[in-house]
Amino acid sequence: MAMSEAPSAERSPPPGRLPPGPTCRVDFSRPLDFTFLGRGVRGFAGDTVASALYAAGVRTFGRSLKYHRPRGLYSMEGESSNTFMAIDGVPNECAETTRLRAGMSVRAQNVRGDPRTDFFGLIDPFDRLMPAGFYYRLFHRPYGLWPLFQNGLRRMAGTGVLDTQHDHGRDGLRAERYMNAEVAIVGGGAAGMSAALAAAESGLRVCLFERRPWLGGHLAWRVRDFEGEPLHARAEALARRLRAAENVKVFTNSPVTGVWGENLVTGFTIGTEDDPFRECHWECRAATVVVAAGCMDRPLVFNHNDRPGVMQAGAAWRLARTCAVRPGWAAVFSVADDQSLEAAVDLSDLGVEVRGVADAREAGRQDPELVAALEKRGIPLLPGWAVSRAMGRRRVRACELRPLDGGGSSHFQCDLLVANGGMQPRIGVLATAKARLAYCTHTHTYQPAELPPGVFAAGSMTGLRDPRSIEGSGRLAGCRAADLASGAASDRRTDTARRDADALPGPVAGCDIRHGSGIGRGAKAFVDLDEDGTYKNVKESAAQGFDVPELAKRFGGFGLGPGQYRVTGQNLAMIMADLRGDPIETATPTTVRPPLAPPSLATLAGPGHDVHKRTPLHAEQAAHGAVFRRAGPWQRARYFSDDVTCRAEIRNVRNNVGILDSSPLGKFRIFGPDALNALQRVYISDMRKTRPGRCKYSAMCNDMGHLLDDGVIVEEGEDDYYFTTSSGRAGATVEWFRFHTRHDGWDYNLVNLTDVLGSLNIAGPNARKVLQRVTTDDVTNEAFPYMACRPITVGDGVRARCLRLGFVGELSYELHVPSSYSRYLWDLLMEAGADLGIRPFGLEAQYCLRAEKGHIIIGAESEARVTLTDIGMGWMWDRKDTASKKVGAPALRACEKQPGRMKLVGFRVDEGQGSPRDGALVVDGAEIVGYVCTTRRSEALGWQYGMALVCDGHAAKGATLSLQEEHKPGKRATFSATAIPPHFYDPRGTRLRA
Amino acid sequence: MTFRLTCPVCGKRDVYEFTFGGQERGPRPEQEELSAEDHFRWMQFRMIPCEPQEEWWYHAQGCGVWFRTTRDPGTNLEVEGDGDGDE
Repeated sequence: MAMSEAPSAERSPPPGRLPPGPTCRVDFSRPLDFTFLGRGVRGFAGDTVASALYAAGVRTFGRSLKYHRPRGLYSMEGESSNTFMAIDGVPNECAETTRLRAGMSVRAQNVRGDPRTDFFGLIDPFDRLMPAGFYYRLFHRPYGLWPLFQNGLRRMAGTGVLDTQHDHGRDGLRAERYMNAEVAIVGGGAAGMSAALAAAESGLRVCLFERRPWLGGHLAWRVRDFEGEPLHARAEALARRLRAAENVKVFTNSPVTGVWGENLVTGFTIGTEDDPFRECHWECRAATVVVAAGCMDRPLVFNHNDRPGVMQAGAAWRLARTCAVRPGWAAVFSVADDQSLEAAVDLSDLGVEVRGVADAREAGRQDPELVAALEKRGIPLLPGWAVSRAMGRRRVRACELRPLDGGGSSHFQCDLLVANGGMQPRIGVLATAKARLAYCTHTHTYQPAELPPGVFAAGSMTGLRDPRSIEGSGRLAGCRAADLASGAASDRRTDTARRDADALPGPVAGCDIRHGSGIGRGAKAFVDLDEDGTYKNVKESAAQGFDVPELAKRFGGFGLGPGQYRVTGQNLAMIMADLRGDPIETATPTTVRPPLAPPSLATLAGPGHDVHKRTPLHAEQAAHGAVFRRAGPWQRARYFSDDVTCRAEIRNVRNNVGILDSSPLGKFRIFGPDALNALQRVYISDMRKTRPGRCKYSAMCNDMGHLLDDGVIVEEGEDDYYFTTSSGRAGATVEWFRFHTRHDGWDYNLVNLTDVLGSLNIAGPNARKVLQRVTTDDVTNEAFPYMACRPITVGDGVRARCLRLGFVGELSYELHVPSSYSRYLWDLLMEAGADLGIRPFGLEAQYCLRAEKGHIIIGAESEARVTLTDIGMGWMWDRKDTASKKVGAPALRACEKQPGRMKLVGFRVDEGQGSPRDGALVVDGAEIVGYVCTTRRSEALGWQYGMALVCDGHAAKGATLSLQEEHKPGKRATFSATAIPPHFYDPRGTRLRA
Repeated sequence: MTFRLTCPVCGKRDVYEFTFGGQERGPRPEQEELSAEDHFRWMQFRMIPCEPQEEWWYHAQGCGVWFRTTRDPGTNLEVEGDGDGDE
């Protein structure tokens, strides 16, 4: 076999490194310095954290969860938690896949100090005390000791520790992206690239997602000659063609987290130096998906298979070929497929002394070319053999190989033991897409037995190994996906692709090895590295009756760790089938859990933009010292001073005149022949009683009779009405109207004018004086009485809709003008009222003012347990009207006389009792009978008033209410109060009618 | 869970854009002589079939239309054609 030679390096490589070959991704001219456990380490651009550490001689990366065994580099793709580390204060970062950056601080996890000398390593020999499920079976009694066990175990077992001082990714560098494509391709190997090219030929939009930083899949690091060129060159040629295709968007560094309903592909992109983000979450809605996710090594289960120095063939090979890191000096292989034999040959050519290759397949099943290549290099090949155990306390020093059918063992000294049971497909993407997977006795892998609509599988995951077959299958899948996406019938191109694919070599026979030879008890033969699940534990689970993979997974924790189905899934199922004595084809994979690759939580949380609306008067209010708070979608002025009780603002409204920006108020126009019908349906009052020029106050209920919204309605013309809603409901009003009239086919139009119209409210005894100064219209009490509504002209001819309302309990006018005139109107009124001392007031002042008056706010004095009648607003309800089928009327009818309901009451806190706070409980002895909605001390009244929702029997006028609040646990304050009608200030309403 | 719905105005759009209006349960009952029990039955009681059902959806992030569609909660997908005639 011909292997292309690595070009001789111009200068000798750095220590721990091999001469960079043609597939090397590390740039020795760009060193990157970082620290590991505080010590300085040098890596290079293109390294991952793990490859740089390995090159620096680090072999023990961490300690295992349960037994605290030393763990080393096992895969290069983050398939287990072995190399999870704390990087820059962020725990559980996968060192194998995290690109190295200068200045990183890397620490080991689950260790005391250095992972080489971890204190809890003493636990390892005591595995007998920790059988499968011991956690569930041992520590639940006596119950009182549970916290002790739990805290102890938590300290000893675990992965990372969260550094709460660290700002975990709230760096503003998280992005989101939503895309559409006709064809999405998962995997940028030869199959994925061929599929993308084939699909792109039809002119469709194609997105290709590749988790590695480069394209090419496993061809990217293979130098074997094939059809006259090295394999990596073949992949590079494909990648060049792909990059040139205009309608293909290639995303590298982009793991897919799953494929969901109607082919929504989700994943994330890890930002490089050139990207404006650290991580970007994306979703791609595709008509069709081609899954070409490739394969990974199937781990081989044998004794001490977790020793540092034991690694997957792909890991050793990629260390050498991608990162130019020497994986070891003397290597032994125990593998089961041709690709791993190729790795043995290649590593030998790179200067690793390969002392022996055990192949679990019997003689004659190997690629003769590779057998010859091994022979030529003097490497003994042992067909039908496998490793039985690794030796060495902290790392591999030797290993023992045995024939699988029994017989004498052979010892080999080595510092690298490459082991696998052949290749297994990465089934995750297909599994999340809800493909049915079944065990295939030819490839000895899970293969898609049934694919969901629009999903196609291609490439090495379908068992193909010949590069031409892989490309052919990709091309066929790409053609079929394009045909389906474009709605075209299978065209000639697709038929040709199918014929071509059929003519190429099919899936290669796999190996069904379950575990290494001479497994014995298997107490240290790990099926799952993350959760320290051993072969012995699988047997124990089976003996306890948890003898199917899904049950064993829960009982013994196999595959619950970060590696999930990847390391454990197929082996667990095969071993379990073996233990049960079932035929191997009954092996079923455990459910694959998304996300298939872990994005950081900060990425899932999103960029965290504060998206809000500002009123047209934001700047004006800010100039008056407004403190803004979020209210629904708006930023609104809450206070105009440091005094959160807003005494000065309140006093000015009560005695003089204040101005409020009420622009977020919902403002609507409804018109059309059925406008009145629609109003009758959703409003609880008789809306036929609306009159031109007069505000009618009413409310909307939901079907349960709960108060939903209140506001005023004015008839503005024939079948033409203007109405207001509370700010919070403005966004939902159109939806609500349309929903409750959806069966009626009524002809009306409803227009949301909330953002179109600004609103200003001037309130106080001097409000009329101010208004009269800016308008020539007559606004005297006789001409413009309480609840009147009329257009007036203000200033230089601005038409304003003027509503005389009294929410705050004073003479008050609400002026609605087009938003663009809001600032003009504000300036006009401020100027007109300057000599009177007009000043703005905020939401808190309004809240207190209206509460003094006993006007309720929905959500403050009403809630989901009380109906319109419970809060004393039943007078609005038009009981006689059944024809309009009012929303909420039947429920009100049913609840009206119901005993035991909560009622809204006002109360006055008795003198000398101090001030309770909102939310204080109303108690009757030990029983809670209600709570305080709002309570404030009123300067105008001179006493503490409030409103409470209390159970029926306590709502009588004059009743004594006992209020209670807990400032600290056990420290209670009580107040006595007297129930009074909830109209505290100006109960007759003379001020607002003045 | 993710799927698409066919808005009669905007065509097939992602479900994120819509709000759910519940199963089709017919027009509001006549309120004359409506017993509380019948009202609450209409309001609250739902059959949860594992077969296509008629549903109301509102294109909240789009054109703002309420529309009816037939969808199979088993697969989450809309069912073409049938169902519309059963009203």
